[in-house]
Amino acid sequence: MKNLALLALVAVALVGCGSSSEPETKTASSGTPTSSGSGSTAGKKFRIGMCQSNNGEPYRVQMNNDILAAAKEHPEIEVVLKDAQNDSLKQRAQLEEFVQDKVDLIMISPKEAQPLTEPVEKAMAAGIPVMVIDRPINSDSYTCFVGADNKKIGIALGQWLKSKLKPGAQIVELKGLMTTPVAQDRHNGFLEGMKGSDAKIIFDVDMKFLEPEARKEMDSALARFPHIDAVYAHNDPGAHGAYLAAKAVGREKEMMFVGIDALPAEGQAYVAQGIEAASFQYPTGGKEAVETALKILKKEPFEKKITLESKFFTPDNVKAGGELVK
Amino acid sequence: MKKTPSQILQTPAVRALVALLLVLAYGVARNGNGAFFRFGTHRDMLRSVSVYGLLACGLTLVVISGGIDLAVGSILALGAVFFSLATIHWGWSPALAIPATLALGAAVGAVSGLLVSWGRFQPFIATLAAMVTARGLAKEISDNQKVSTVVTMADGTSKSAPLPKVFGMIDQRVLGDNVAVVTLIFLAVFALTWVLLARHRWGRELYAIGGNEEASRLSGVPVARAKMLAYVLSGAFAAIAGICQAAQEQQGDPEAGAGYELTAIAIVVIGGTSLTGGRGGVGLTLVGMLTIGYLDKILSLNAVSESTRLILTGAIVALAVLAQRSRK
Repeated sequence: MKNLALLALVAVALVGCGSSSEPETKTASSGTPTSSGSGSTAGKKFRIGMCQSNNGEPYRVQMNNDILAAAKEHPEIEVVLKDAQNDSLKQRAQLEEFVQDKVDLIMISPKEAQPLTEPVEKAMAAGIPVMVIDRPINSDSYTCFVGADNKKIGIALGQWLKSKLKPGAQIVELKGLMTTPVAQDRHNGFLEGMKGSDAKIIFDVDMKFLEPEARKEMDSALARFPHIDAVYAHNDPGAHGAYLAAKAVGREKEMMFVGIDALPAEGQAYVAQGIEAASFQYPTGGKEAVETALKILKKEPFEKKITLESKFFTPDNVKAGGELVK
Repeated sequence: MKKTPSQILQTPAVRALVALLLVLAYGVARNGNGAFFRFGTHRDMLRSVSVYGLLACGLTLVVISGGIDLAVGSILALGAVFFSLATIHWGWSPALAIPATLALGAAVGAVSGLLVSWGRFQPFIATLAAMVTARGLAKEISDNQKVSTVVTMADGTSKSAPLPKVFGMIDQRVLGDNVAVVTLIFLAVFALTWVLLARHRWGRELYAIGGNEEASRLSGVPVARAKMLAYVLSGAFAAIAGICQAAQEQQGDPEAGAGYELTAIAIVVIGGTSLTGGRGGVGLTLVGMLTIGYLDKILSLNAVSESTRLILTGAIVALAVLAQRSRK
């Protein structure tokens, strides 16, 4: 019995290690992992630590790629990425590691505001500039914020859809995880953009940003309503799932599908394939963040709050790289 | 031996039907503008619940042997990612990719089985380790990206590959548009599980082990081997579920199947298979699957809010298990 308990303990420890093992680190300059804390690199090079909240999301992988691609253009900087695996406390620990390591600048795309506000303030107090990307924190104690505005994107999408719909159109809304500000903003912005239209949302459900859920919910909407004019999904995988559901019953031509995010491999590809009528980009800000970081490091003037411009993609403009949302 | 009506009412199968009938009555009452009475609704329900049913078949084997398999959701993801990589990106034919995916799932199951049978790990711990590891493998081989026909290049542009035919073959309806292929795949696995449990010596060994492992060992049952095989089949069935999932999503998502193991366990338990082992059967699991599938469908048809869905699902699980209690 004692043996068994010991074995179980070892197993638990192993499992624990598995999920909290050393974060994967990548550098822009070489693409190979570097050991943190190696002070032997040449003094001229600026070292930037980037705390990513979750590499499991395609959007965040894209942000990392955008940052690394932008950093490659500037040999004077080196970026080290850490992935917090969707865990606020892990992200806090990684932020503190960068502070210990005395990097020149920290970028953080926080998982949540509250648990990471104080750690960011402490890093600032230690004299390290901190750039907050995508999601805000609950204080003004940061160097620069780079992010897009989900509500604005929702409004733009609503206005665009309003202009495309016939009077009395029937809409299905497949919402993201409604406990998150992202989904709330995309929902409220959409309603605001649709104002003045007599279109009706006949079916709205939470598909939690998950494609299989979206397909299942769309099955139900199709079973219930003999005619649907448009499907608005809070992300492109949701729109894709809805399309597959409609296609399975031969009704994909009856309605148009619109989504948000417009990642190259998802929304932009779906538009190019004629699946989505439009995809509105939620930009990652990776490039802008690196460019602003350089200004900060070189003590040049910069804006404290940068709201990213968003593009939208339709079959007409997708080959030309989309159009700016006004 | 004839049974009196009250004895028939006491059989696990009849009790399992109580929850199902309750759910169906709820569907009749809240039929979503009559959508509940249309054939397509039932056909689609069977399609979307089939993936859970596949996981639940494997779990039934493991649970009857007195174990548990938490790894099925992660093996589903591993299978989905591997199958997509093999067919879309490596150009493997389905005749090669499907057995290879099954073998991969079976291999992960075999590791759980080895830890349980010969390593004397508690099944919860062994399969917890397998669950975490398989999820890691799925993310590793997919490089954290969804494996789809669109490939993002290093410079941010993307190119697209054609979708292999096998995806469309699995995600289609046959027999006069009346049944989804994934449902037929589930039925085949279900039938295999039923034959193994009810007609095969190994099935009887599983019941014996779940009932009393020590007594089985002493009476010459090859306990380690029999248990091992349950985990191997559970892994293989989860890999089949992964292929079905990939076909329906047209991609292999390394995050797929997260939390599915809990739904599959709920299906097994609602059916009336005892988590302590030795009692139950895959026929009961079928009833459990229909209960969960219909509940999900009815809540979805009526666009019920997420919070209400969670509360109602929890209540149905509790109620179903209550109905299974012996009333002596």
